[in-house]
Amino acid sequence: MARPSSSSDLDPAVTPVVVACCRTAIGRSHATKGMFRGVRGDELAAAVVRAVVDRSGVDPSTIEDVVLGATQQRDELGGNVARTVALMAGLPFATAGTTVNRLCGSSLQALAQACHAIAAGAENVQVVAGVEHMHHLPMESAVDIHPGALARTSRGMLSMGLTAEHLAATHGIDRRRQEAFALASHEKAAKAFAQGEFQDEIVPVVGLDETGTVVAALRDQSVRGDTSLAAMAALEPVFLPRIGSITAATAAPLSDGAAAVVVMSEAEAARQSLAPLARVLATAFVGVPPSAMGTGPIHATHKLLARVASRGISLADIDLVELNEAFAAQAIHCIDTLGLDPDRVNVRGGSLAIGHPLGASGARITTTLLHALRDRGGRYGVATMCIGLGQGIAILVERVGR
Amino acid sequence: MPAIERELETLAVGHDADGFVVVTFEVPGHRQNVLTKQVLEELAAVLDHLAADPPRGLLLCSGRRGSFFAGADLARLEELLARPAPEIVAACDRGKGVLARLSSSFPTAAVIDGVCLGGGLELALACDVRVATPDRHTSIGCPEMKLGLLPGWGGTVRLARLIGPGPAIERCASGEPLSGQVAHTAGVVDACVGADRAMETAKRLLAMRAADGSLAARRVRMASPVDLDAGERVFLEATTAAVILGRTGGHYPAPPAILRTILAGASVDAQAASAIESQAFATLAASPVARNLLRVFASGERNRRDSGVEGNAIDVKPAERQAIVGGGIMGSGIAASHLRAGLSITVIDVNPTALAAAVPTILEEAAWDRVAKRVDQRRAVELAGALQTATSLAALAGTDLVMESVTERPDVKQQVLTEIERLVRPDTVITTNTSTNPIARLAAGLGDPSRFCGLHFFNPVRRMTLVEVIRGPATSDATVAFAVAHAKRLGKCPVVVNDSPGFLVNRVLMPYLHEAGELLREGVPAERIDRVARSFGMPLGPIELYDMIGLDTAFYAGLVLSAAYGDRIEASPVIPALVKAGRLGRKTGAGFYRYAAAGQLERIVGPDDKAAEVIARYAHTPRESSDRTIVDRLFLPMLLEALRVLDEKLVRDGRDIDLAVIHALGFPAFRGGLFPWGDSIGAAEVVRRLEPLADLGTRMHPTDRLRHHASSGRPFAD
Repeated sequence: MARPSSSSDLDPAVTPVVVACCRTAIGRSHATKGMFRGVRGDELAAAVVRAVVDRSGVDPSTIEDVVLGATQQRDELGGNVARTVALMAGLPFATAGTTVNRLCGSSLQALAQACHAIAAGAENVQVVAGVEHMHHLPMESAVDIHPGALARTSRGMLSMGLTAEHLAATHGIDRRRQEAFALASHEKAAKAFAQGEFQDEIVPVVGLDETGTVVAALRDQSVRGDTSLAAMAALEPVFLPRIGSITAATAAPLSDGAAAVVVMSEAEAARQSLAPLARVLATAFVGVPPSAMGTGPIHATHKLLARVASRGISLADIDLVELNEAFAAQAIHCIDTLGLDPDRVNVRGGSLAIGHPLGASGARITTTLLHALRDRGGRYGVATMCIGLGQGIAILVERVGR
Repeated sequence: MPAIERELETLAVGHDADGFVVVTFEVPGHRQNVLTKQVLEELAAVLDHLAADPPRGLLLCSGRRGSFFAGADLARLEELLARPAPEIVAACDRGKGVLARLSSSFPTAAVIDGVCLGGGLELALACDVRVATPDRHTSIGCPEMKLGLLPGWGGTVRLARLIGPGPAIERCASGEPLSGQVAHTAGVVDACVGADRAMETAKRLLAMRAADGSLAARRVRMASPVDLDAGERVFLEATTAAVILGRTGGHYPAPPAILRTILAGASVDAQAASAIESQAFATLAASPVARNLLRVFASGERNRRDSGVEGNAIDVKPAERQAIVGGGIMGSGIAASHLRAGLSITVIDVNPTALAAAVPTILEEAAWDRVAKRVDQRRAVELAGALQTATSLAALAGTDLVMESVTERPDVKQQVLTEIERLVRPDTVITTNTSTNPIARLAAGLGDPSRFCGLHFFNPVRRMTLVEVIRGPATSDATVAFAVAHAKRLGKCPVVVNDSPGFLVNRVLMPYLHEAGELLREGVPAERIDRVARSFGMPLGPIELYDMIGLDTAFYAGLVLSAAYGDRIEASPVIPALVKAGRLGRKTGAGFYRYAAAGQLERIVGPDDKAAEVIARYAHTPRESSDRTIVDRLFLPMLLEALRVLDEKLVRDGRDIDLAVIHALGFPAFRGGLFPWGDSIGAAEVVRRLEPLADLGTRMHPTDRLRHHASSGRPFAD
C-alpha cells in the first residue's frame, strides 16, 4: 500500500510539534493506600510541568502559556490552577496560564487548542498539562446539573457506568469479553513495565507506598501482573447490582496523576535547536447523544481522518492508536465499529490497567503514544477518548525523525 | 361587562385596572381548595362568559392562604374509581376539555401561593404561565402515584412537553412535591417571587410573552410531539424502568404505567397523548392497588378528622407548655418532634450527663434537613430557644401536658408519675410512653387517673408517624381527646386503643415474629423467611426485624405477651438462648444474622452460624414450607389477631388497625392493610387455608368472627 505523501509541504511556521512529554506514575485514589494520598493535585501538575520543561531543553523565557486540563477545578485545583502551577514550577511571570475543561478529554483539549494557537500564528511555545486527583476531589461532588439539561435525555446519562452498561447490552458485549479485554490491558501494561518501556515517560514523584513508607512513585499503582479471569469473574457488578456486566475490573479505576507536553511551531523548534518528537496534524471534537457517551471516539476519529483525507491519510495508515479505556465495553465497541486492528491499539495497556485520572488522561495517552511510536518506528498515531455527557475527541500525530 | 348568568360559589371574578381578569378560588366546605365538579363547571362558565369579550389576560389564584388547589375531591374520586372504564375516560376528558380552554384564546396564568398538587398542578399546567412563591407552604407536585394513579387531566402530557419526558417521569413517578424555588429551576413554574409580587409578576410575564411571541410558541410546543432522540428514548426507558423496579419491588403499577404513558405520549401530538393518558388512568383506576391506596388515604383523612372519642366533639384547648420526663432515645425523639412542629418543649432528666448528651441529639434531629440530608445548623440554633432543660421535676410547674418517658420498669414509672402528679396543676394531662406496661397498673398510684393515658411513640420517632393513645379504664374522654389533638399537632397519626397487653401494634406484630421463630425451628432458612416477607411487601423480614428490635427487647416484650396470650403464643426458647450468648442483634453485630459491625445501619454479612447452632438445639420436625405456606403462616395469624382485637373492642374502628399496621409495622399499603388483604383472599378461603395448619395450635384456629365472615360472605373491610 502506498504511503501518503510526506509532510514537507507543511509550513513550519504554523505547524505544531511536540518536543517533549512526560507523566507521573498513576496512583490509586484511595484514602489509605493511594500513593499520592498525601500529594496535592497541583503538586503533581507542577512536578510534570517542571520536568517536561527540563527535558525539552526549551528556553523557559519563550514559554508563552500553560494550558492545563482538569475536570474538578476547585479547592486544590481551583482558581485557575494552570497559573499557580506555572508559578510553582518556576516558569517566568511572563508565562500565562489557563485551565480548560472538556471532562475526560480535558488535557487532549488543552493540547488541541495549544496547537490551534500555533496554527493561527498566535501563542507559540506552550506547556500543555493535565491533572486529576480523584481521591482529594471526587468527580461527583460539587456538581449541580440543571434539570433542564435532562429535558432531552435522562438522569441515567449522568452515570457513565450506566451508559457503558447500555452499550454492552445493546451491542451484545458480554461480561467474559469485557474481562478478557481488561486482562489483556493489564498483561500489556505489566509487560511494558517489565521491559522498561515506561521508563522514559514516567517522572518520579515522591509519594507513599501502601505501608506508609516514602517512595519515588515509578510504577502505575493499578497495573496488576497477577490478575486473572477467575479473579475478575468473582467481582460484583458495580453499576447495576446483580444484573449488570461491568465490574471494578472492567471500568477504569479512580486515579490520581498528571502529564505534560511541550508544543511549539516546527520553525521555533528549529530556531531553538530542539528535536521534535511529532507533528500534530489534525484534531477533532464531536458531540454524540449523551446516552451513547462511549461511542465518542468513533465519531471523533471519523471526523479527524476526514480532515486529512486530502493528504491521502486513512485509517489503514495509522500505526498505533491510543484509545482511552474508560470501560472495557466502550473500548471494545469502538474497536469493533472503527474496525481497528487490536494489535495496534493500546500496545502498552490502557486506562483499565494504568488508571484514568480524568483531566490528565489526554496528556497521558499522548505521552504513551509518542513513546510507543518512537520505540516501534511507527509514523502515524491517533489518540482518542470518550467524554461524559456525550462527546468524543481525537488528535492525529506524525512522528518526526530519530 | 355583563354579569355571569349563575351564582358562583367556588370562585369570584374580578377585573383589575390593567385589563386583566382575576379568578379567585375559595371552595366552601373543604379545609383546602379541592377541584370539585362545581369548580370546573363554574370555571367553564367564566370562560364562556369571557369568550364574548376576551380580556388582556386571565389570572387564576386562591383566596385561601396556603392553598392553591390540594387536588381532586377525594369523595368524588372514590366514587369515580368504582365506575366502568369508559365512564372514567369520559370523566377525564370532561376535565381536560375545560382545562384545554385555558390556552386556546387570551393569555392565562396561575399564581401559586400554597399547596398545588395533583389536579391543582394540572390546572396550573393548563395555563400559559405559572408563578409560584418561595414560601414554606408552597408545594408543587403530582402525588397521584401515591393513590396508584397517574395525572388524568393532561398532567403527563403537559409536563413532558414543558420540562422534558425524563424529568416529567421523575416528577410523576416519585410523587414528591417541589418547593416553589425548586419548581422554578425545574421549569415547572416560570417564576418564583414573594407573594406580594406574584400577581404583578404574572401580569408582566404574560404581557412580555404575548408581545415577543414566546407565549404562542409555547402553545405550539405544548400541542406538538416531543423532540426526543430515538437512542436517548431507549436509554431513558431502560434506566428509568430499572430505577422504578428497584423502588417499587414491582408491587406498584402506577410508576411503570407513568413511564409507558409519558414515552408513548411523547412521540405523538398532545391530543393523541391525552387520549393515551386517559386510557392509562382508567386502567390504573380499575386496579386493586389503586383501590387499596385510596382506602388507606381515606382512612388517614378520617383519622385526621377523628377526635378520638365518641359523641359530641370535646373542645380541646391546645397545650401551651409541655414537658417530657426522661431524656433517653424515646424522650429525645419526642422532644425533637415537638421542635419540628414549632412547639416549645421542656426536657427533664435527673441525670445531668444524660441531659447534656440529649440536647445536641434533639437539636440535630429537629434541624435535620430531609432534602439536603444534613443538619441545618442555623435552624438548630433557632430551635435551641424553644428547648428548655431541667434536672428537677420542679420545672414541671405550670405545664399543661407532661409526657413521662423514663425507663420501662413499672416501679420506676409509678414513682415518677406519682411525683409528677404532686407537682402539676389538677388539670394537667399526664401521659406515659410505654410499650409493655398496662396503663391501669401505672395509674394505680395516681390520685386522679382520669387525666392519665398512654401516649406510645415508636422508634425512631422522626420516621414513625403512628402513635398509640392508650386509654386506661379510668381515663376520661377529655384526656383522650387532648392527647389525640396533641399527637396531631406533632404531625402524627394517633390511634386510640383500650388498655390491654401489647396494646394494638405489638399485639398484632407478635404472631408474625412468633411464627417466624417457629419456621426457623422447622429448618426454614432465615434468608428465605425474610425474602418471602419482603416479596409480600414488608420493608423488612421478621428475622431482620428481630435483629433490629434487639433480641433482649423482643424477649421482654414476648414475656408480657405470652403471659397474656399463652394459649397461642409461647415464648420461644431460641430468643433467650441467643441473648445469653450475647447475640442481641444489630446493636451487638450479631443476632440471627452477622453484621459488618455493630450499629443500626450495618449491613448483613450472612446468617450467624452460632445462631444456627442455637436454633438446632430447639429444632421442630420440618413441615411443608412452600412460599405460599410461609406467607399464610406469617400473615394469617396477624389477621386472626386483628379480628380478636375487634372482638375485644379495643379500637373504635377496624380501619384504625389497618392504619396502625401500615404506619407502624410497614405492612404494604398497596394491600390496603390486614383486612383488605384478607378480603383479597376471601374469608372462606382464609378458613380453608388455615385447615392444614390447624395442628400448629390455637393460633391457627379460625375465630368465631372469621367463621361468621366466611359463612355470610361479608368482607372484613367495608
